[in-house]
Amino acid sequence: MNAGPDREKTEEVLMAFIRERFLDGDPGGELEPTSPLIDWGLLTSLNSAVLLNFLHREFEGSVAVERITAKDLRDVRSIAALLCGAPGDRP
Amino acid sequence: MSLDAAVREAARSTPDAVAVRDADGPVTYAELDRRSRALAEELAARGVGRGDRVVLWAPKSADLVAATQAVLRAGAVYVPVHGDAPAARVRALAEDCSAAAVVASDGRVPALAGLPAPAGVLPLGLARGPVRGTALPAPAGDGDPAYILYTSGSTGRPKGVTVSHGAALAFVGWAAAEVGARPDDVFANHASFGFDLSVLDLYAAFRAGASVFLVAEDRAHDPHALVDLLRRERISVWYSVPSVLTAMVRRGGLTEHPAPERLRAVLFAGEPFPVRYVRELAAWTGARLLNLYGPTETNVCAFHEVRAADLERDRPAPIGRAACGDLLEVLRDDGAAAGPGEVGELVVAGPTLMLGYWGHPPLDGPHRTGDLVRVLPDGLLDYVGRRDSMLKVRGHRIEPHEVEAVLESHPGVARAAVVCAGSGLEAALTAFLVPAPGGAGALSVRRHLVERLPPGMVPDLIRFVDELPRNANGKIDRAGLTAAAEQMTNGEAP
Repeated sequence: MNAGPDREKTEEVLMAFIRERFLDGDPGGELEPTSPLIDWGLLTSLNSAVLLNFLHREFEGSVAVERITAKDLRDVRSIAALLCGAPGDRP
Repeated sequence: MSLDAAVREAARSTPDAVAVRDADGPVTYAELDRRSRALAEELAARGVGRGDRVVLWAPKSADLVAATQAVLRAGAVYVPVHGDAPAARVRALAEDCSAAAVVASDGRVPALAGLPAPAGVLPLGLARGPVRGTALPAPAGDGDPAYILYTSGSTGRPKGVTVSHGAALAFVGWAAAEVGARPDDVFANHASFGFDLSVLDLYAAFRAGASVFLVAEDRAHDPHALVDLLRRERISVWYSVPSVLTAMVRRGGLTEHPAPERLRAVLFAGEPFPVRYVRELAAWTGARLLNLYGPTETNVCAFHEVRAADLERDRPAPIGRAACGDLLEVLRDDGAAAGPGEVGELVVAGPTLMLGYWGHPPLDGPHRTGDLVRVLPDGLLDYVGRRDSMLKVRGHRIEPHEVEAVLESHPGVARAAVVCAGSGLEAALTAFLVPAPGGAGALSVRRHLVERLPPGMVPDLIRFVDELPRNANGKIDRAGLTAAAEQMTNGEAP
């Protein structure tokens, strides 16, 4: 995927990865785009690194992904907003 | 002598020297001394005295350093809890050690409402209050407890390792001498205050009148940020667990720029350091590379300075020889001393040993570490592994039964088994769960965990299974689960 990804599609990609990798598939559909990833224990230090690695791989070429750090991984919606370059979403 | 004497001494001799830097800037020895005095007076006024336990619950800051000092100045014992730990954990530990008081960051005080601590819950901001000059108790002595560090316990409950002023001073004095600490040094404090190596960062620096830069918890696992601060803050002595140094090399670009000339020593401990990254560090910097070893119960009891020959090995550097005046014995299963080439359990005696586990009988002899080591032909010791089920995950010592007990307290979980897949940076704490009737979702389980366990104990991976595999004697087949977990993580390491 290259620069300028679609936000809805990006959320779907992120949700799928997080469900599969950190929630054993999330069969009950508990994860929401606004679920806090750190506060709810999904992003341990290892998982933060795994997710960052995934972002760099999946969104290679995007300018935004190069600037994302572990502190930006609040929830799926805000990560997608950063990746899609929504104005005002970047501190 | 008491552990807090170093700061008071430096405040007298070099009051304007910087003692601590945190995100808010520098704090001099005079100011650190003033803040600790103000809080110590407040504690004493509320009845906290010699031997009382005071839990500290706040993110790292100069004020938190002042709080450790304040507790010691009041003659009491500080019990640090990770700044990110949930309130339920703080309550549990405060109850375990019958804490007289808790000092918490101001915003967290309400979360501990109703805590049965006689002296109450004090906001950390009291350290910024006035010094009234009221009397403080006489300083503690060598044999008095200085702090309690909680580690995973084999029964599923955390155990409070109680360390005396004398043991801490033996450790700190050795470290300061070995590193050659001096007033122009800047120590990095990466370890949280609940980890014994933080005592080295803080007090070896204070003993020399040097300064300490506090690495905030939210940056502690961000390799780019760590590499940046190592340069920007002009760090001369660095300590962290190997997995953090590995991340700094692999992902933080540590070795892509020339090594800072000020960097004199890089210390690491807590887990084996893959030799390929030690090679990279050695090629990058002329700083001394020191491998420290010691369970919380013994402080650092062995060390080894990495030499050229160690870089040619295909396994991590040795843990070396005795440190801090301790005596090391390696005992085979039959109780005889292990000879060259043989493996045995490392047993430690000497001045750095803990007083005992809080609430248990005092230690009355050498400490059996549960660690297996090999005696090398030259007398150095190589770390081999653990005797028991204790897991080492990225520098954290984790008793799986403790995590399993919390998992099984979730109404949707019938049985749980926790294993560690991989090692070093890639080590993944993995929970296998058998759902109870009605079931549970992984997200609900994670929320349950994060409210009850410190961050390092929350499993990285969760998998639901119909049954836990058992071996021939009916015990959970942990080797089989570990193999399954390693397959799950294979190729997906960061």
